[in-house]
Amino acid sequence: MQTLKSGIFFYVCCQVVWLLNINIDIMRLRLLSLLSVLFVAFGASAQGARDFKINEIYIADPADTSGIGYKDEYGESGSWIEVANTSYTTRDIRSCYLTNNRAVLNKELSAPERISMMSLIPKGDVRTNLTAKQRITFFADGHVNRGTLHTDFVLEAGKENFIALYDGNGVTLLDSVTVPVLPAGCSYARIYDADTEEYVWVKAQPDEVTPDAPNEVSNATDDKVKQFKDNDPYGIAMTVMSMAVVFSCLLLLYIFFHVFGWIINRMTMLSRVKAIKKIHESAAKVVVMAKDGAETKGIEMENYVAAIAMALHEYQGYTHDVESGVLTIRHEHSAWDSKDHGLRQQPVHHPVNTHN
Amino acid sequence: MESVSTMDFIATKFADFLTYTGFANVEWPNLAMIVVGAFFIWLAIKKDFEPLLLIPIGLGIILGNIPFKAAGLEIGLYEDNSVLNIFYQGVRQGWYPPLVFLGIGAMTDFSALIANPKLMLVGAAAQFGIFGAYIIALALGFEPNQAAGIAIIGGADGPTAIFLSSKLSPNLMGAIAVCAYSYMALVPVIQPFIMRALTTKKERLIRMKPSRTVSQTEKILFPIVGLLITTFIVPSGLPLLGMLFFGNLLKESTKTTRLAKTAGSALNDIIVMLLGLTVGCSTQASEFLTLDTVKIFALGAFAFIIATASGVLFVKFFNLFLPQNKKINPLIGNAGVSAVPMAARISNQEGLKADRTNFLLMHAMGPNVAGVIGSAVAAGVLLGFLS
Repeated sequence: MQTLKSGIFFYVCCQVVWLLNINIDIMRLRLLSLLSVLFVAFGASAQGARDFKINEIYIADPADTSGIGYKDEYGESGSWIEVANTSYTTRDIRSCYLTNNRAVLNKELSAPERISMMSLIPKGDVRTNLTAKQRITFFADGHVNRGTLHTDFVLEAGKENFIALYDGNGVTLLDSVTVPVLPAGCSYARIYDADTEEYVWVKAQPDEVTPDAPNEVSNATDDKVKQFKDNDPYGIAMTVMSMAVVFSCLLLLYIFFHVFGWIINRMTMLSRVKAIKKIHESAAKVVVMAKDGAETKGIEMENYVAAIAMALHEYQGYTHDVESGVLTIRHEHSAWDSKDHGLRQQPVHHPVNTHN
Repeated sequence: MESVSTMDFIATKFADFLTYTGFANVEWPNLAMIVVGAFFIWLAIKKDFEPLLLIPIGLGIILGNIPFKAAGLEIGLYEDNSVLNIFYQGVRQGWYPPLVFLGIGAMTDFSALIANPKLMLVGAAAQFGIFGAYIIALALGFEPNQAAGIAIIGGADGPTAIFLSSKLSPNLMGAIAVCAYSYMALVPVIQPFIMRALTTKKERLIRMKPSRTVSQTEKILFPIVGLLITTFIVPSGLPLLGMLFFGNLLKESTKTTRLAKTAGSALNDIIVMLLGLTVGCSTQASEFLTLDTVKIFALGAFAFIIATASGVLFVKFFNLFLPQNKKINPLIGNAGVSAVPMAARISNQEGLKADRTNFLLMHAMGPNVAGVIGSAVAAGVLLGFLS
């Protein structure tokens, strides 16, 4: 949102500059500012909120007064909703909304109407800034005045509960889940199913309930290392696969530059052949003209001289077909012509008074 | 509070101070490492072995082995918030190596490779040193991720070795980095013997045709196409390959000469200084003087030997399919490792020993720079498989 505001501010500034008719390349600046607004606007709509997923839900039984369970800042345990940042980037979940009201799915509702049915995750708490793969747990206890981590709704045991997570605009649904009736002490957790290669919701047993922690104890790196250790103890498979990849990379580069080099050579050759043909044609013309001139015994000699000069010019021109024929002095950058330095006052020449 | 006399106070504080000194905390391993550091400096100054690397590393080894009392003074390399620890994050987090690659890209002329692109395959073949060492490391009982970190020494590329080991086997990174740089400095000692042993006199006399002139368009296209091809196949090599080709584009575009100059000189020098110093510092005796380090040094030597041999043998094999006038001198096979330009200089020297008029330097630069790309790709592959 901040970047969007900055973009709009920049655009407005550009319009002001335009109105004041300040001597700047207006079209370019306006185009740039418009692009920047579009860029930041797209950036704003892709701030990464979609990386937040509802990760685990625990619904406490009000009849259970044992006090065992995940406790809030006040030492009270109850129902909770765990949300995970599934990305490898730090994301802030502030300004997003949680709700258990299924009515928010009604597309006829306006954003303010929908927001009125949802519980805001407030700003100003560092805990909402989630690092890569971090999780945050909200207590669904209806005591929103207890702090950032409390919602204004409660989850009810013994029945299905709908939970949705909305982006800060109150329109974009980030994630939702319907929690079935759960046995006492169990949670509803989102885990990765290696068979289907998708995340699925499962009932987690009481000893598998993991607030503020991953739902599965797994380390991808360790898994990969273990797989190689078990299946490729001598490193043969690794060697074959890796060398194949290295060779294919460099082989592709070889093929590309071999073909491209051939094309460049061919083009150079063709231009040379063309130049030689031109030279031959010019030379033939000169020979004809010279003979013709001798036969005419000097009559209209100026024309022949001009034609020979033209032929020589062509000859010289085509023999240097590689060069552009334009003499240039390459511009070398120095601080003297730098735009940054140009903002300073330019040195003024004062004639030296030699009489003093 | 009970007051003490001034003399007692001074005596107490002075005695306390003495417990902080290096003399009070020194152990034999520290002294041994200080001697190693001094030896590196001697090699660099007296023998001219890679002074730009060995002097920072040598002094770093001394610096990292100055004994002190662990009293939370925030001075040691491994202590959070110490200055050295902040410098060390560049190694630990792996952002020095890509910056070094930026400098390498800005300094490298790929013309020799573009003019004779089949030399890329020599650069690829020499990477077998990495995987040969990987096989041996597994046989010695290292875990696959540790073996990969150690094996990358065979690429003869210090930044790549640091990058990969920081990701896969951070506990071995100090030993791997010092080993990689040490062997790079020892390329003139290791390679010639293998090159001579694997080639005949007749092969060493092969003259290669001069390379064609490479157009500016090809030079500009090389980093772009190279980046696209390599990173599409091995995205995990993106930090190294991206910066390498970025640096080269800065150079070859001819429009960003200032940036290329900075990347190849001032920036590169700064990073090399910090990298060398902190890598040296990371070899604290307690971490470094272990049996694993001895194994790593032995494996590093094997990796270099295998890489050199595979490059030379591949050229000989390749020559079987090439017409007589396009044969490659196998003495440039050693340059498939990415020790630029040292390996290419060795090819040239050996070529001149066989024939005083046969200059192989420019031909050897082809596989040499291909080796830089090849080792970065190999590192990306290992990272992709094991990370």
